Amino acid sequence: MKKRLLSLALIGAMTMTMLTACGKSESTDSASTETAATANVEKSMVIGDTTFNAENWEETINPHVTYNGWPCIRYGVGETLVHYTDTMELEPWLATSWENDGDKVWTITLRDGVKFSSGRDMDAEAVKQCFEHLLENHDRAPLDTKIESMEADGLTLKVTTTEANPALMNYLGDPYACIIDVDASDFDNGIVAGTGPYKATELVTDDHLSLVPNDYYWNGTPKLNSLTIRTISDGDTLSAALLSGDIDAAYGMAYEAYPNFENDNFQFSSIQTSRAFFASMNMTSPVIKDDAVRKAIAMGIDKEGFVATLLDGHGVVGNGAFPDGFSKFGGENIKTETYNPEEAKKILEDAGWVDTDGDGIREKDGKKLVIRWLTYPSRQELPLLAESVQSTLKEIGMDVDINCTANRRDFLADMSSFDIYASALVTAPSGDPQYFFTTSCVPGMDYNFGAYENTEVTDLINQLSTEFDTDKRAELAIELQQKILDDNAYIFCSFLQMNMISKSNVSNWTAHACDYYEVTVDLDIN
Amino acid sequence: MKYVINRLLQLIPVLLGITFLSFAMMRIAGSDAITEMYADKGAVSAEIINAKRAELGLDKPFLEQYFIWLGGLVRGDMGISYVSGKDVFDTFISKLPATILLTVLSVLLTIIISIPLGIFAAVRHDRFTDYFLRFFSFIGNSMPNFFIALLLMQLLAIKLGVLPVISSGTSIVSAIMPTLTLAIAMSSKYMRQVRATVLEELNKDYVVGAKARGVRNSIILWKSVIKASMLTIITLLALSIGSLLGGTAIIESIFMWDGVGKLAVDAITMRDYPMIQAYVVWMAIIYVMVNLVTDLLYHLLDPRIRLGVAE
Repeated sequence: MKKRLLSLALIGAMTMTMLTACGKSESTDSASTETAATANVEKSMVIGDTTFNAENWEETINPHVTYNGWPCIRYGVGETLVHYTDTMELEPWLATSWENDGDKVWTITLRDGVKFSSGRDMDAEAVKQCFEHLLENHDRAPLDTKIESMEADGLTLKVTTTEANPALMNYLGDPYACIIDVDASDFDNGIVAGTGPYKATELVTDDHLSLVPNDYYWNGTPKLNSLTIRTISDGDTLSAALLSGDIDAAYGMAYEAYPNFENDNFQFSSIQTSRAFFASMNMTSPVIKDDAVRKAIAMGIDKEGFVATLLDGHGVVGNGAFPDGFSKFGGENIKTETYNPEEAKKILEDAGWVDTDGDGIREKDGKKLVIRWLTYPSRQELPLLAESVQSTLKEIGMDVDINCTANRRDFLADMSSFDIYASALVTAPSGDPQYFFTTSCVPGMDYNFGAYENTEVTDLINQLSTEFDTDKRAELAIELQQKILDDNAYIFCSFLQMNMISKSNVSNWTAHACDYYEVTVDLDIN
Repeated sequence: MKYVINRLLQLIPVLLGITFLSFAMMRIAGSDAITEMYADKGAVSAEIINAKRAELGLDKPFLEQYFIWLGGLVRGDMGISYVSGKDVFDTFISKLPATILLTVLSVLLTIIISIPLGIFAAVRHDRFTDYFLRFFSFIGNSMPNFFIALLLMQLLAIKLGVLPVISSGTSIVSAIMPTLTLAIAMSSKYMRQVRATVLEELNKDYVVGAKARGVRNSIILWKSVIKASMLTIITLLALSIGSLLGGTAIIESIFMWDGVGKLAVDAITMRDYPMIQAYVVWMAIIYVMVNLVTDLLYHLLDPRIRLGVAE
């Protein structure tokens, strides 16, 4: 009897414990329901984001620190002088017009009637002060913009560069060039006063950013009374948070979670970006030096299959260095090799690569056709691409030896350690083509991983760097892409298709090709 | 007292050894904060990269970097985070309340669940309730933490909607799901340990003798068996407390619980050496202190155990 009583007491204790936990949760639930009810009246919204964290170098919203400008512009705090269209062409934003004297001097006219969230007028003096602070503190801005001096006069800002810089206005559309009120910004806590529709009230790195409407906004009235950006680094948690209603919209959802949201309760906003997944041929490698091998590789990679099967359609097949429809120099203007394994086999046969021992791998002069494919795991698409290439190139008699490592820099430093390097890169972050070619196709440049060298290409890049006419720049960009692809020095496999998912009651939360603009004055929830 | 001071002095060589090893291992792992910073973000010139490396002192030889850091530590300066640019000590301390709260709650819940059920299973040895509890402890043991977390999320947040998926600050409400996750996993393990320990005690001669003398079972259980079993239970709990105070990175990431575990994993990913070193120092201190407290408790529970004397 006593044993039974003891048993019952123990079970009772356990039950009480569980009930206490549930009791707490119920009261929490009613509290959160109450908050939600109030929030609906006040139009409150929560966005979950996997990228807004220190791991991604976005610890604050101070645009003058590394990549902190991205959250500044994304979440509607900062705006730049110029805005990118969906096809990545420039259009006025805080600047209404700009002109260049054909050399180093730019005259920029600012928009009248714009105020910072601090209440200060945005005039040329404030912009000059902002850029001076940017150039003093930012790592990339001085070299990108090449600004030597500035003169402010009312709403006119005169900028002089150290050398002709046709892409200056493109760089001034980069998130680091968000115009902020330097005097009113709290740099110690990473909060800045911008001209965007929302102003930041609280920031806890790796946790959340609280925003309220900017009362001084120049271009309409923000629809939300409060907006919270929640950092959610784990993909499963992001998915569960959107399903449970903890958040209203999600950025950075993992591909495998998409089926949970393919119903009437949610909506997708998708757009192709210029983040390319591409292969750089190591032109110093003996096997890659063989023109036939490079051509066969270009013909042996099934880009369509990779995007359709391994990316489950969440990508865009690559052609040139920029996606199709991108500005005036998109991939549709380029001709390159398409997937044709039979033709690839023939090219290899003609070049003397024959499978003599019947193991499925070709040989020439006693050497097997092995391609050492270097890549890294931090972009989920890259290991998948390596697997796809390994499979399709095997069909044409090539053995692909994959080295997928976070320490790829160590291997890149040793040119004899790899034949092909596959990486991900935003090829035109500022909408201008020059960036990719100067950094990736000029001998000796840091991102020319394959040591590619073609004097014709180098000459064209030099021409591009001094050409101010946008149409001529586009023509040069097309010609350059065609030349590097004719050399089969690069293979652009696919471009990232960005997807943002939100509840069906969210409106005007739209993905943009440059990935900068997310929260706008029109963002609303019903 | 002398024993305690001796043990605390042992902390010095432990700290030196472990911090040097971790510093060396991070270098062997390759990459550094600057490489991680610019990877994938777009092309950045070598000039910028080299300037940044020099700014953080990453261009200096390995030993020089270590001794600079050690010099700072001796002066009470743990350095500045390579990622956030903020003081490492302040950042680390700001994450501790969340970790301590989660540790306390999950250990308490584990004790509440595992000790009564373990004793119950031992008392009801080889009967239905014993098999029933052992079956569930097998299931709990075989499921990884993150899987339990996802199941709880699915049930309590998505299906029933009674708890939030993501935490809102360091609060009891936000702590419920991570606490349950940790407690389920730990209780499954400890319940079996408690059961085994109590069973072992129940089979000892003094229990048989007491029974023969007509001492009631409840008195034998509560006054002798449980007390004797506490040594094993305290050892297990001490190890768990040490591990929990080091943070539970996966649980913290899943529930967005802002503790030191997630901080440490992020620091390792970003090669934020000063932050990693702060974590290593913290872990060394925890384990030395927890072991010290455990030894003192041993002595308290069983005065036959003499501290600081070789057997």
